[in-house]
Amino acid sequence: MRSIRAAYDALAAALGLSAILLLVLPAGCSRALSDPIPPVHDDEAAPRRGGTLRLASISDLRGLDPAGAVDGLSLGPVHLIFAGLVDYDEHARIVPELADHWSVEDGGRTYRFVLRTGVTMHDGTELTADDVKRSIERALHPSTPSQFASYFTGLVGYGAYANGEAEHLEGVVAEGRYDVRFRLQRPDATFPYLLALHAMRPTCKSAGYRYSDTWLPCGAGPFKLERGGWQPGTSLRLVRHPGYFRPGLPYLDAVEWTFNMQEPAQRMHFERGELDLVRDWTDITAARFAADPRWQKYGAVEGDNAMYGETMNTRVPPFDNVEVRRAVAAAIDREHYRLTGPARMRVLTQALPGSVAVDPSYVGQRYDYAAALEHMRKAGYPYDPATGRGGWPDPIEYLLYDQGAVTLTAPLLQQDLARIGLRIRLKVVSFPTFLTLQQRAGAVAISLGSNLLDYPEPSAVFDGLFTTSSISPEGTQNTSFYSNPRFDELAAKAHLELDPERRRALYQEANAILCDEAPWAFTFGFHFYDVHQGYVRGFRPHPVWPLDVGSVWLDRTGDELERMLGGGLR
Amino acid sequence: MRRVLRRLGWSVVVVWAVVSLAFAVNNLLPGDPARMVAGAQARPADVARIRAQLGIGEPALVQYVRFWRRLVHVGPRVVDPKADPSHATCAVVVPLGSAAVHLDFGKSFMKHAPVVDLIATRLPRTFALAAAGMLVQLLFGLLTGVLAATRRGSRLDRLLVGTSVLGISAPTFLIALALQLVFARGLGWLPIDGFGTTLDEHLRCLVLPAVTLGIYGAAYYTRLVRDELAALLEQDWIRTARAKGAPAWRVVLLHGLRNALLPVVTAAGLDFGALMGGAVVTETVFRWPGLGDLSVQALLNRDGPVILACVVVTSVAIVVANLLVDALYARLDPRIGDVALTRSR
Repeated sequence: MRSIRAAYDALAAALGLSAILLLVLPAGCSRALSDPIPPVHDDEAAPRRGGTLRLASISDLRGLDPAGAVDGLSLGPVHLIFAGLVDYDEHARIVPELADHWSVEDGGRTYRFVLRTGVTMHDGTELTADDVKRSIERALHPSTPSQFASYFTGLVGYGAYANGEAEHLEGVVAEGRYDVRFRLQRPDATFPYLLALHAMRPTCKSAGYRYSDTWLPCGAGPFKLERGGWQPGTSLRLVRHPGYFRPGLPYLDAVEWTFNMQEPAQRMHFERGELDLVRDWTDITAARFAADPRWQKYGAVEGDNAMYGETMNTRVPPFDNVEVRRAVAAAIDREHYRLTGPARMRVLTQALPGSVAVDPSYVGQRYDYAAALEHMRKAGYPYDPATGRGGWPDPIEYLLYDQGAVTLTAPLLQQDLARIGLRIRLKVVSFPTFLTLQQRAGAVAISLGSNLLDYPEPSAVFDGLFTTSSISPEGTQNTSFYSNPRFDELAAKAHLELDPERRRALYQEANAILCDEAPWAFTFGFHFYDVHQGYVRGFRPHPVWPLDVGSVWLDRTGDELERMLGGGLR
Repeated sequence: MRRVLRRLGWSVVVVWAVVSLAFAVNNLLPGDPARMVAGAQARPADVARIRAQLGIGEPALVQYVRFWRRLVHVGPRVVDPKADPSHATCAVVVPLGSAAVHLDFGKSFMKHAPVVDLIATRLPRTFALAAAGMLVQLLFGLLTGVLAATRRGSRLDRLLVGTSVLGISAPTFLIALALQLVFARGLGWLPIDGFGTTLDEHLRCLVLPAVTLGIYGAAYYTRLVRDELAALLEQDWIRTARAKGAPAWRVVLLHGLRNALLPVVTAAGLDFGALMGGAVVTETVFRWPGLGDLSVQALLNRDGPVILACVVVTSVAIVVANLLVDALYARLDPRIGDVALTRSR
């Protein structure tokens, strides 16, 4: 009796506290989105200078040295600190930046860049051809932890330089104060895209000739880092470079990032006007912002540079049979995938998201259940949906790691493949373990495929993921171990083809081979959904660079914001 | 003295065993740190170059011996990374004339910084959070525990016990989010998260994470103190003290609570040691840049030097906390003090 009374009282206490919480929580917690904080001036207003743009990230910044290994988050600030000889424009095409112009000579074996004159670096010195050569040699030196050095094996003298046999890189020649020549062993039409990589961006003389962990990043971009501006694990503050070579830009006085801020906290800060632009939404919150008419004009989709799919190992049964792979590609209902994160996912049916060669009208792989069953029949594993008999006799392990979207799409894959007689068992491992197993020959039959474009040109996808030369027993990039001589030939030809249209045609033929032979079943592209307050003006997501805020301006003042918030900045 | 030295010797053995185990596990786990540094889709040539730069291509035994030789060694009194790169990642811990004892965990694979610097930056923050959290836990735990024990069977007792069940059952992240929503977002009294730049901001930022840890732990201490004290208050010697006319507060606090503190001290010592390893969830939700976040990131990225440094710090903290608990035992109850020390005989 006594214990019953005690249990009753404990329950009463719990209910009482819950009731108190329910009464108190609405003070802070509301499912409804707050109103956007509007701009002060109308749409036609001219940009105004001043203010600090405040951003946040759920993760921490790995580094700011363009020559070192950086991650997706670092790309944003690195792009603001360092300008390149060339850059990608709003359509991901190559355009001059620090270079005034360039020419292609010697049948594509030499690229000659003429620098703009009077470009001031953050340390006040003028950019010269020697700075370009020094920065590139620094980035490609064997002591530098660069993740991109091997892209430049085509430069004359790269081998000797990478082996430490040569002091300088023979293929990069500074001719006079403003001329730089890049000499290649063979023509390569993709070279300008490689030059736009952050690793190739000119650094101040303080960077020296060799990579150092303690160097204070310094370049020629619109914003600069001052001593003490980066508190690792906490925050980063970049301030306007007064000598930036584009007149009048940037408008902002400073850009600030706060790191390691979880999504609920980002939302709270954003709604209080303490963050100006947020991208780390959960799928649900992103979808709510995208669907809310008040917020739609302040939301924007970032570049679609991430490609996801199902990687089928072409050397492991049953996926060594092309008909089984075709069956998988036809059995996946990609629209179901997309619905698991509609604001940030896009149906993907071919290999080239965000790339300059993509043909949106090309159908590629598509859901066709009848065709999938027919492919299974041709493969020798007919499946009867009515009786559930047939198909591949053994369960197949599907390797994945615990990553938001994929934990939802993997069960959909299971269902789709079960309908054609392929029984999938999910094997979830940590990301490092996933990479080790997926990149080892013969270790995995089918796994999650993902690829983030290093640069927006098809060679960034084709060369690593699908050519025979990129297959290796351990640590392979070609995780489907796919090999097709015709595909290899097209990929190689594309490098030599200087005419953009003919190169595009080569890529599209190669893409069609991939869609047909299906080493991957392409499933979805992923993009961030950026939401900014109304007073953030001039923001347009860049197809390559995350949070490119070089031409953003703030249409508010401190007093105005105080009035809008009705009580001042909290 | 000999007993104390023997106890310290065992503590060193414990730390060595824990760190060796961590080293073995870290090496046995699949996953290539060089691949994590280079990125998932880096080319094999770039991964190989980075692997060589990190010095992880050598056999595990060679790395193990190098780790211990480097961990504590004698070096120059002043560390100048430019003049002497071999000691660039060291911290001077004990000056010895022109030389000094160095502590060296190596360089973080991912953060490209000496691990001693990372630990030195984050350890005081974790210490502050752990201390503040323990303070709240003990303050509330003792107060409510004593109240419940002295009113055993009453409605107040059942309310406090029921509330403590709720506190123990609620996940830390839920408590953290509720506090953020109410006190930061709703009422605007405290910062949502962060660490601040001034002492005033540090203290304001510390309140919610400390209370989060406090609520979670206080519930446990409430139960512990209540049960222990209630049992003690039934003892004959307590009745004797009452019969002699000692005031009720004196009976409860000096006679009862002092003896009830023994298990509380044991639990608090272990809890504090564990908190020094980092209150991962609380640090993450409140963006408190301590050891918890550092160790989790290191684990996810296979950042070996940071993982081992965190294991060393955590195991040392727990060992030290245990030594302090034993010392405190002797203070609280001299009879147990003898037993505590003879255990190591």
